[in-house]
Amino acid sequence: MIIAKIKPLEEVKAMIKDFKRILNVGCAGCTAVCLAGGQKEVDTLNTKLALSFKEEHTSPLIEGYTIERQCESQFLAVLDSMVEDYDALLSMACGAGIQFLAERFPDMKVFPAVNTTFVGVNRDIGWYEERCQCCGECVLGITGGICPVTMCAKVLFNGPCGGSQDGHCEVDKNIPCAWVNIYKRLKAQGRLEQILNVFPARDWKNQTQGTFVLEEYQGRYSYKDKEGSQT
Amino acid sequence: MGETHLYYFIRGPLLWIAFFVFAGGIVFRTVQFFKLTRKKDPLIYSPTKNHKERYGKSSVQERKMQFAISLKNSILGQHQAVAIFTSLFHILIFILPIFLLAHNLLLYESWNFSLWSFSESTGDTLTILFLFLAGFFFFRRVAVAKVRALSRASDFFVWLITVTPFLTGFICYRQWFDYHTALIMHILSGELMLIAITFTKLGHMVFFFLARFFIGSEFSLGRGTRTW
Amino acid sequence: MTETTFRPIDVKKIQKMLTPKKGKMKALLSFCAHCGLCAESCFLYRNHLDPKYVPAYKAINSLGKIYKKKGRVDRNQLEEMKELIFKNCVLCGRCYCPLGIDIPSMISLARTICRSQGVYGVFPYSAGEP
Repeated sequence: MIIAKIKPLEEVKAMIKDFKRILNVGCAGCTAVCLAGGQKEVDTLNTKLALSFKEEHTSPLIEGYTIERQCESQFLAVLDSMVEDYDALLSMACGAGIQFLAERFPDMKVFPAVNTTFVGVNRDIGWYEERCQCCGECVLGITGGICPVTMCAKVLFNGPCGGSQDGHCEVDKNIPCAWVNIYKRLKAQGRLEQILNVFPARDWKNQTQGTFVLEEYQGRYSYKDKEGSQT
Repeated sequence: MGETHLYYFIRGPLLWIAFFVFAGGIVFRTVQFFKLTRKKDPLIYSPTKNHKERYGKSSVQERKMQFAISLKNSILGQHQAVAIFTSLFHILIFILPIFLLAHNLLLYESWNFSLWSFSESTGDTLTILFLFLAGFFFFRRVAVAKVRALSRASDFFVWLITVTPFLTGFICYRQWFDYHTALIMHILSGELMLIAITFTKLGHMVFFFLARFFIGSEFSLGRGTRTW
Repeated sequence: MTETTFRPIDVKKIQKMLTPKKGKMKALLSFCAHCGLCAESCFLYRNHLDPKYVPAYKAINSLGKIYKKKGRVDRNQLEEMKELIFKNCVLCGRCYCPLGIDIPSMISLARTICRSQGVYGVFPYSAGEP
């Protein structure tokens, strides 16, 4: 899931200090699961902010409301009747959710309360590890289920590089070399021949904003390709 | 006299049976818990330089504030009455029977030893407090919609099992009604409660400690090294 | 709704799913004190203030019912609990139980059982309010 981390209090405070009525919107999707932006974190952050502002003798109204997911407009719809009571919104969703919230209420000032960090796994309670950079060209089938984009500091598709020392990365000796792990796993599974071929250079299309519509749903939307022709 | 026979039976053999079922139940539930759960593989956290810079440890002051705020947003912070009453109730249910003067006198009569005990009036006051708290929980079960929705006949039955020993004990002390009948009711209901801990939701007496301390979760009170 | 609606309930299959988790689930269900203290930890309960969103209520009236009937449920009963476990819960796993009962695992098992019988949370049912 998407893993986020709550911003330092001072940073959040600095963003909202000029507003009198603030609604902190929580998200019960990914950020709730990674203990960053669920209802409990909304309550906690609101209490912290209130205490902290009180010390400075200001007392803005800070309220909280958690919705199912901020990345879907049908769930954002509940806020339609609520936001007019406030002059700023804090969002505890991931970057996508925050932007979708801001898009729905273009007149509102929207501020992030969390830093979205990565797409990762929940190894244990409170322990998250990055696993995917959403590159849009998955090679896990060839690399034995170990991602060279995420796990290799150089994002190498033909590794390992010369910096690989005793199975560790030259960047930090706590980081295992992804390509050594790929080699080990493929060898154990008897399919080393998969990485003998040289991978072609990647198409870095994930460097532009990603949008796609599943083919079976494309009929529902009018479509405009890059050259500008509209169908 | 039949009544005297009954008295000696429930004071003697039945009491032992109740104690054995109670102790056996605790052992059984504990063993069952450890059979149903398994130890998690230990994880070793080795942060990279990158991690250390980005997600360093928070200061002591910050963690203190964090603790104060999570307390404020806990049940104690949000529903003070429920939190305080339930804590008192659960403390009293343990210490009242153990440190009651009358019980310790019986203990002394039988085995020539006794524990520290409350004075008579303290015991009486605490019993009244306990009955008040039990009344509060009954009221809550009936009056609060979210609790009412969860309540069924068994909840009221278990409530009755829990309250009767204290109520009858209170009646015995005051010598209201027929003392002998009240005393028999008191002993019987106390034994019933001990037995019920094994077989009803009262088993949460054991389960609470096992689950909150051993199972790893957001709310575990210990290290939480086990998992279902 | 769909053609699967008319498929008979496969009680054997449900029982096969119930058996491996029986010890855990029975314990969780029997130790629930029905105290209602989990309510406020559910954001949906806080938003709606309806007892049908109390985590324990959702678990007891879905998985609890299935275990009580030893898997012998009919389609109507599964359809009834569909709303509780698909619409009233997003499985964010943040419910607090003072006794340490693992509520999400119960709702998740109830969902799995419903799905195995063709009772689905159809979008927008799949995660909360339409």
